[in-house]
This record gives sequence, structure tokens and C-alpha cells, in this order.
Amino acid sequence: MSRNLLGIRHISAEDLRELLALGAEFKRRVLMREPLPRVREETVGLLFFEDSTRTRVSFEQAAKYLGMNTVSFTGRGSSMSKGESLKDTILTLRHERLTTVVMRHRMPGSAQLAARYFPGPVLNAGDGEHEHPAQALGDALTIMERKGHLEGLIVAIVGDVEHSRVARSNAWLLSKLGAEVRFVGPKTMLPSHTAMLPGSVHYTLETGIHNADVVMCLRLQKERMLDGLLSSVGEYARMYQVTRQSLEYASPDCLVMHPGPLNRGIELDDDAADGDCSVINDQVENGIFVRMAAYWWALDRTMDDLKKVAA
Amino acid sequence: MRTLLKNGRILDPSQNIDMVGDLLIEDHQIEAYGPNLDVADVQETYDCTDMWIVPGLIDLHTHLRQPGFDHRETISTGTQAAAAGGYTAVCCMPTTQPTLDSPSLVDYILDAAASPSSGGAFVQPIGALTVGMKGEQLSDLSALRRAGIVAASDVGAPTQNSRVMKRAMEYCTQLDLPIIAHCEDLELSQGGSINEGPVSAMLGLRGIPRSAEEIMVMRNCLLSLHTGCKLHVTGVSTWGAVEMVRQAKYLGAPVSCDIFPHHFCLTEEDVGEFDTRFKVSPPLRTQVDLDIIVQALNDGTIDCIASNHSPYASHEVEVPFGEAPFGISGLESALGVTLTHLTHKGILSPLETVRKLSTAPAMVLRLEGGTMRHGETPVAQITVVDPNHRWRFDVGRTFTKGKNSAFHGMELQGKAVVTFCGAEIYRDAAFPESRVTTSRKRS
Repeated sequence: MSRNLLGIRHISAEDLRELLALGAEFKRRVLMREPLPRVREETVGLLFFEDSTRTRVSFEQAAKYLGMNTVSFTGRGSSMSKGESLKDTILTLRHERLTTVVMRHRMPGSAQLAARYFPGPVLNAGDGEHEHPAQALGDALTIMERKGHLEGLIVAIVGDVEHSRVARSNAWLLSKLGAEVRFVGPKTMLPSHTAMLPGSVHYTLETGIHNADVVMCLRLQKERMLDGLLSSVGEYARMYQVTRQSLEYASPDCLVMHPGPLNRGIELDDDAADGDCSVINDQVENGIFVRMAAYWWALDRTMDDLKKVAA
Repeated sequence: MRTLLKNGRILDPSQNIDMVGDLLIEDHQIEAYGPNLDVADVQETYDCTDMWIVPGLIDLHTHLRQPGFDHRETISTGTQAAAAGGYTAVCCMPTTQPTLDSPSLVDYILDAAASPSSGGAFVQPIGALTVGMKGEQLSDLSALRRAGIVAASDVGAPTQNSRVMKRAMEYCTQLDLPIIAHCEDLELSQGGSINEGPVSAMLGLRGIPRSAEEIMVMRNCLLSLHTGCKLHVTGVSTWGAVEMVRQAKYLGAPVSCDIFPHHFCLTEEDVGEFDTRFKVSPPLRTQVDLDIIVQALNDGTIDCIASNHSPYASHEVEVPFGEAPFGISGLESALGVTLTHLTHKGILSPLETVRKLSTAPAMVLRLEGGTMRHGETPVAQITVVDPNHRWRFDVGRTFTKGKNSAFHGMELQGKAVVTFCGAEIYRDAAFPESRVTTSRKRS
């Protein structure tokens, strides 16, 4: 038995709580140097059809902690660049005896497609502008460590929500676990129809982060200007940059988050990025532990199974 | 050779005929129809009790793919699919390789359609409006007209340049050639794969805004109004596009339009989890659009129903949603879907149903067929429809090479069961052998 982690949208609140609890337990064990389960029979294929260093390293680290073998693939130089279809690539990997697939691909829904042809777990490491579930899990674990809970928190997601898989996964996760989600940004960067997304829409930073417990900045893709979504980076920074000053509108101990890589001086100023309330580095570290949890959960193992791995 | 279709409900929208009676086909021509025909020396009798006898269906929007994309469809498989779907004529789009912009290609298609391997449906070629469908230089439309095209179209590569479109309309007015337009502003739809709306926002797919269609419907209607060119808008999908056409007709523009079956019964929500079978152009819209569209079908603003038959090979469809091609193979489901979702729901009467699928398409392009009037068609084009036959649409049992269909697995009520197209007769298993009586006596 196995499960897929294709997107947060498909996962129940109960499973999300389990995943976060597993992530916290893995973190505790790693930091306390307590024994970790060894899942030696598993071989993970890391398929990155889109460039990504941090996400690939994080999935690889998590696999190594669990004693899993890893095999890396990138889009360049692979059979995909020779015209092989995604379906055939997945079928091939299946017969190369890979047991788990982690995949990043520029097309939304590509993880769903892979899962159709791969018998073992498929973990979505980002499918276009659709979802990035492991990122959201790491972010949620980070918030819970500082706030103790998610329920009732106000989380403002600031920036290019329309084109962000991080925003979508976070919105689903946070709302499923009882937080209030706000999307903040210029109208050109927020979805024009949000009826099927769990969040309210705010066009000004001041109202968007008013009383917020968490401010989550999204990376600004500078090429968006060419698409007419932005007049200039300067204009964006003037209107939406999270600074010590703009954080005055938020609740006093508001956390500042960013999925990276940062554009300092655009999404955030140095004070906000490096201040006491910044948890950007925790996000990176927790990313590893929730990915361990994701592997464990996807292999259909529970907290009880983990606890049986004796100290 | 005499064939008698006995005791069916004869529906001929061209004469507003709706009566129970018999229809006699003699030497592949419609000879007579009426209640209780008294005919001797009949070789074959089809008992059409509880069935409809209608003019053969005519499709204004079929992609036959040959030449160039024979792995998706050929003229042979496409016309077999047409006959099985109740069509006796299909108008094929110039989306071939090379593009249908030269008279020799028209000859090639007509020859292939006339060959014995073809199914029982006529093929009426539609020429490319511009050379290579590049939207720049007009095709030799006069020569194409002489070669046999029935319309010129930019389906596949909608003309963006308004000046080119205006010139094309002026020229086509002179040639008395209708233009079939796919209306899409490619700048607005760029990168999009489903309707811009809550579903695209949820799935992280780029949306195609409704304005991408409506702006071009409006532009083309205005150009038609000012040039007097006969314009047929194919595939309206939004309430706004419908209102534009309604307004253009009110202003006196020689405009008509058609709709595809998926646009009157499916919405963006049917895309589900990135199901590429539901990726169509224009994209599936919303319930609000469906409500207006249904009214517009009923009040006649939407003239025709076209199949939008767009076959693709399976490997072309089993890809991530954004990379999948637009379109479904519609010839064998269009009638069943129309009967199920419009006729049986009381939105269209049986006569109006047949009008939208046969008589109106024939009138739009002034084609033979679409009527039972004696002498109007050189050979009989007649379809027998069992309006109540319940069946499940299954792409495993279709004649088309394209197995891409949003309707796969859908329960349908109503099916074409016999298609007469001249000497060619297609009989479906749903019309049992026991209903056919063959006389041994020779005439």
C-alpha cells in the first residue's frame, strides 16, 4: 500500500495533522540523535524537469536520513530532452525498479499524470503553478513551532499569488487546519476568480496584513513585468514590500516568511528578512523533516510505526 | 431498386413537415413520402416504427486530418465515423498538412472522398482563408471555389489582423463565398488551456478569458455588417458571444453561428483533475453561459450544432494538461448528446433538433441536402434516428481513429441507426435485422 502526495488540496485535515506530527517527531529525533527508521528497500527517483537546487537537496537529504537510495534525473540530457513523453519516462522508471518518485515539472497536473502510470508513491515537488505540497508542510511546521497552533491565525500571503504554487498549497493547508488566509497583492497578480480558493483578497498591504500573525512573502519573478503584470519592480516594492514599518500594521509578534530565493529589497527589506520575527531559515530546515514525514506517510506508515523504532 | 422506410416519424424542417408516414427511395433518390404510401416492387423495407426519418445530418466543422495527420484520422475513417453518427455530409476544415490552400489539394480530398474505401458521407472541403493559414496573404479563393470549396475559414489559426480580415470579407463577398470564423484573440488567450475562472485559479492553469472570444466575435460581426460578407461564427461558448451574434443579426449583418455539443452540456468544472479529454477550444465555460446558450438555441440565435470533430492519437492526449491539444472527436456522439441534453429535456422540439443538425447547416453554406424536397438533392441523404435508444458512448466502439472524447462513458438517449447516402447504407446494430424485409422478387 502506498499513497501519493500530489497536492494539499486532496489531503484531509486529519492526514495533514499526522504529517505535521511526523515532521515534528523526525525533527526531534534528528536533533536529539535518536535512532531513525531505515527504509533500505526503497529507491527514490528525483525527477527534476525544472531547475531547483533547494527542493531537490531537501528531498535528497530527507531520503538519506531514512536510509533510502536516491537516483537523480534532470530534464537536460535526459530521454525527455530527446522527445520521450512524460508517460513513457514514468513507465521506464517503473521498470528500472524505482519505488518512489519525486517530481518537479513545469506543467500543472503533471504529478497526477505521473501517478497514473507509477505504482508506488508519487511526491509532487512542484507542478507548474498548481501545488508545492512539501513546501507548505514545512511552512506549517515552522508556524506551529513558533505559535503552537494554526487554528485562528491570520496568515497574509503577499505577492504574485496567481502564478504561485507555494501560495496555493499554503492556502489549502492553512485553511484546512483553521487559519484565516488572505491573498495580498496587485490585482494583476491575484486570481481574478477566487471562489474555489480558500482566501480573501486584499489589494493593499496595510489592510492585507492588518492584525496578521504571519506574513508570507512570495518571490517576485521579474519577468512578470514583460507580461504587463507590473509596471516596475520599484513600484511593486513601494506598494508591497514588507518592512519593519509596514509590519506595524500586523500583530506585534508577526512571523515573516519567504519560500526563497529572496529578492532582498523587493519583497522584503533587510530588517524584515533578518529580524527576530523572520523564520526564513527555519523554513528551509523544517523542509527536510516534513519531507521525511512525506516519504513515511506516502509509504503508508504511521506515527505508531515510527514509535516502534526504538530509542 | 426501391427502398421503403415504413411508418416512421418524418421530420423535414425545410418544409416544416412532422408526420408519421413512409418514405420511398428509388434509385438512390427520394421519390415520395407521405402517410401509407402504396408502393409495389419494393426490394427492401425498413420498419421505422417509433423512429424518426430525417434529412441526413450535415456537419459544418469536421477535421479529417488527411493529408498530413493520417495518424489522427483519414478521409476513410472520418467518413465512416460520420455515417455512424448519422451524418451524410461533413465540411472538412483546412487544418491539413499542407494547409488546404491550393486547388490541387481540393482535388486530392474530393478524390479520396469518392474512393470506395470512404464511408457513406459526402465531404465538402473548406479552404484556408489565407496562404498557409498565416493570416497574411489571401489564398487563391476564386480558384479554390472553382475546385469545389464550400467556404473559406481561419479555423486552426484565427486571423488576428483586422485589415486582413476586412479584405478577406470584401473579396469573399465578390466570390459569394461564406467565411467560417474561429473567433479568438490570441494575445488574450496566450498560454491558456481552460476557461479563466475559479477552476483555472484552483488548478494553477493559465486561463482563457471570455473576452478573447467575444472581442473577435464582435470584430468579425462588425466587419460582416460593413462588408456584407456572409459570416458563420463557429463554436460560440460564452453568453457574451451569443449576445454579440444576436445583436449583429438585429443590425442586419449576414451572420450565423454554431455551437459544439460540449458547450451546451459541460462546464469548466468537468475538467476535474486535469482531465485532458475536457480540453477544448474555446474552453468549457460556466453554468451561466449554459443557461443563456440554451435560450439562444431555443430562440434561434444559435443556428446550428456542429460536431467540432477533432481527432487526436492517444499519445497526443496522454500528456500534461497544458501540453495536450484542444478538441474532442465528436462525429459519433454529437447527435446522441444533442438528443439527450436538448431534445429530451424539451429545449428543442424534434423538428428544431433536425433543423440545427441538418437543414440549417445546409442553408448556411447552400449545400445539397437538409431537405426531402423532391429533386433538390441528386441522391438521397436520409438518416433514421431511434430517439429513445439508450446507450453508453464508448470510444472503444467508434469508427474514428480519435479516441479523445469528453463523452466517453456517458449514458445517452437517442442514436442514428441507419444512414442512407446515395448507394451507401450504414446500419447500426441498434436497428435490428428483424426490422429489415428483403423481397426476393426481382423488379
